Amino acid sequence: MKLAITIWGNRISPVFDAAGTLLVVQIQNRVIVKKSYTSFDPKKPADLIKTLEKMEIPVLICGAISTKPADLIVENNIKLISFVTGNALKLIDNFARKQTIEKTFMMPGCSKQYCWRHKPKNLHL
Amino acid sequence: MINKKNIGPLTENTTRVILESISDGVFTIDYNWEITSFNRAAEEITGISRKDAIGRHCWEVFRSNMCEQDCALKRTMEEGKPFINSSGYIINSEKKKIPITASTSLLIDKNADVIGGIETFRDHSLVEQLRKELSTKFKVEDIISNSDAMKNIFTILPQVSDSDSSVLIEGETGTGKELLARAIHNMSHRKKNPFIAINCGALPDTLLESELFGYKKGAFTNAMKDKPGQFALADGGTIFLDEIGDTSPAFQVSLLRVLQEHEFTPLGALRQEKTNIRIIAATNKNLADLLSQNLFRQDLYYRINVIRLSLPPLRHRMEDIPLLVDQFIRKMNARQGKFIQGIDKKVLRAFMSHEFPGNIRELENIIEHAFVLCSEGYIKLNHLPGFLSLASNISEDKDNDPVKSAQIKLITDALARNNYNRSAAAKDLGIHKSTLFRRIKKLGMIL
Repeated sequence: MKLAITIWGNRISPVFDAAGTLLVVQIQNRVIVKKSYTSFDPKKPADLIKTLEKMEIPVLICGAISTKPADLIVENNIKLISFVTGNALKLIDNFARKQTIEKTFMMPGCSKQYCWRHKPKNLHL
Repeated sequence: MINKKNIGPLTENTTRVILESISDGVFTIDYNWEITSFNRAAEEITGISRKDAIGRHCWEVFRSNMCEQDCALKRTMEEGKPFINSSGYIINSEKKKIPITASTSLLIDKNADVIGGIETFRDHSLVEQLRKELSTKFKVEDIISNSDAMKNIFTILPQVSDSDSSVLIEGETGTGKELLARAIHNMSHRKKNPFIAINCGALPDTLLESELFGYKKGAFTNAMKDKPGQFALADGGTIFLDEIGDTSPAFQVSLLRVLQEHEFTPLGALRQEKTNIRIIAATNKNLADLLSQNLFRQDLYYRINVIRLSLPPLRHRMEDIPLLVDQFIRKMNARQGKFIQGIDKKVLRAFMSHEFPGNIRELENIIEHAFVLCSEGYIKLNHLPGFLSLASNISEDKDNDPVKSAQIKLITDALARNNYNRSAAAKDLGIHKSTLFRRIKKLGMIL
């Protein structure tokens, strides 16, 4: 499977609305097999959605995100895992092995129920 | 009396009490960027408890747009000096963007050693909210304006709505006459009953009469059954008669009867029917002129002209353009699921130098046109219809180079004359098509 993460250096970008770089990873058999970087404009979430659709990426992991872009992303059938923090590669590695995001990677004040959003009948990890 | 002996350096406990009592958020960090203290206001503004915040990296808790790009605390730690009132926003635990200002300084212990940094931040949501409320002060129903002429109308609108008198709304096409009529209806005691708008200019006399008064079965060849008219359907509500100046003298007589007697006779009926409606008429013509030409009945004029409201054309209330543009963008974003953020400065300049003969309707159509071409971000000149982007070329250049400006005007006029067909415009100017293309490019005209 493919997933995208908004990054800031080697960390997950703290705020999606001010991020600029996307790390795209491909996971096979619980191992990262491919990585690539691309830039994006957070003020144009629809462009990002198009990019994700074109690259066939169904999951976006990011830091804090405001309601407007969050709703738009979820409306477009992309699973959004927000309010995530920490080292991006460690997170992906952990995610690839365990298929979930551990609490240590979640920002304070965030619950899985609140920060994992997707449209009903969307992809299940 | 204050015992001066008690005044001295603040104790740790006093400092804590002060920090807990202020309304500004305050947190401190150590050299690992980990939060070491977090006051009550910081908890309230971020929505994160002190217990969850302490020990976490500041960007995981503060979550500001400044963290990644222009962290004031980082600059303070690097340069050793404070920074006051940096503006930005944070995202709180409810995913809300909170506008803030932040100030930073070094955190120094009693031995004068730097032990970290301190950031204080102020929630500006209330200021933003007040700013928004201030802008909505100039809003009645769907009408928004900041102009004096419109504010005068807004002031008397509650009284106008409360009364049952007929209203005459004057104004050029596209100035919002129907919107104003709807606002009057929605603010009146009739609001739960129908508001029916009829364009008198669009219907021939006979059709207009059958539409308004209705007809009885057999009144004419195709009248197979009774049909109630709008006067019956709008009972208890409001009828808006647009373009009243375009009605025939015969229709004016029938209308006068409704206004005088509150009665009307459906076509083919033997008896009159009572009606309880309020009439709001509108015209883009000068009814006084029509009176002098005997094209409008004097008695009807005085019946509908009980309260007269004159809507100014948009060119007389140019200060409303930014407000109107914001309103249309908000409306179209919601309708089309887009994320347009506003208009470019050059677009505003183009709008301000345009006459808007079609008034607000024209502005709305221009924004709709721009929405087709602009998918996100800001609406730019190249998203506007050709006539506006061309006009803005002229206004930008005319101050600098009169020859260039004259050339642009010549080409613009030729294009406008030929429906923006470049080949036809070239022929009109007596030059070859490729020469015209070269000149357009050389002059930097955006088509």
